[in-house]
Amino acid sequence: MHEYSVTTQIVSKVLREAESRRAKRVLEVKLQIGELTFLNPEQVKFWYKALVKGTVMEGSKLIIQEKRGLVRCLKCGYEGSFKYEDDPAYHIAFPTLLCPKCGGVVEIIGGRECIIENIKMVV
Amino acid sequence: MTVKPGDVVRAEEGEIYDIELEADILEANRRIAEENRALLRRYNVKAIDVMGSIGSGKTTLIEGMIKLLKGRYRIAVFKGDLTTTIDAEIISRHGVKAIPINTGKECHLDANLVKKALNRLNLEEVDLIFIENVGNLICPAEFPLGSDKRIVIVSVTEGPYMIIKHPYIFMDADVIVINKIDLADAMRVDVEKLRMDAERINPRAKVVATDCRRGVGVREVIEALNL
Repeated sequence: MHEYSVTTQIVSKVLREAESRRAKRVLEVKLQIGELTFLNPEQVKFWYKALVKGTVMEGSKLIIQEKRGLVRCLKCGYEGSFKYEDDPAYHIAFPTLLCPKCGGVVEIIGGRECIIENIKMVV
Repeated sequence: MTVKPGDVVRAEEGEIYDIELEADILEANRRIAEENRALLRRYNVKAIDVMGSIGSGKTTLIEGMIKLLKGRYRIAVFKGDLTTTIDAEIISRHGVKAIPINTGKECHLDANLVKKALNRLNLEEVDLIFIENVGNLICPAEFPLGSDKRIVIVSVTEGPYMIIKHPYIFMDADVIVINKIDLADAMRVDVEKLRMDAERINPRAKVVATDCRRGVGVREVIEALNL
């Protein structure tokens, strides 16, 4: 939903890093996007390509790794991905805050990130 | 020991740098949200988010809660809208402070806008703030504001599948309100089915059915918020 503004922030952050190291060119940016964000990787890529034009980032590769949502069970201590309920009436699997192991209530501990993990640049 | 020029580690011309950054772009909003939360706590002010679709009854629910809580709390309302002060005026008729937050074209409030609105208030004169977000079931979930509790309201006029279609915002809710139950038959929507969807997605949340226009269920919403 906010791919344009978020990608603008990503690009300006990378440009600042590149400038502070006097990089000639940025080759690659690795990004992690959490399952619980409302960022569509396709659209992030689209805006990235448009926004890097004419900068040292032009032609760089954007690698997006999608991170699964992570929950912790308050009852049994389970840590892992969400339980998805598959309801044939809806034809979709939807996430729930029920523990996949014990049926207790889980809390969300990860999956809301949009992290610039790594940048490769030529100095 | 002296440092000789040859000891300096330098990047060679054309060398590739691999920089670990681990910078979270969405962190900026969360940081301001935490500042808001700390500020509210310092003044002992409770803040409640009210989120839901356009026309789901957010303002009407807030009006209903104000009527019942006015005697016990000094209330302020932040009223998020793209434009206009219509709703803020409706709210201020109840004798509470209403601050319109116009986002321009943004589809949600963010922590910085709420921070600016908080600066407009004398927090010593307020006990409770309702923060009504822009009508939207998607974007507000991405931007925490620093509140204590979150209400997500859905109405039967949005159809039978609204909760299941937008699971993520309902996961963040402390209280889920199913509104306009008086229209359920006309809309052919099963309120109990909506309630089950809400409970399946978020077993932690309290689910309350309301007809906010007539004040039905509003007291239960207040109890669910522990107010």
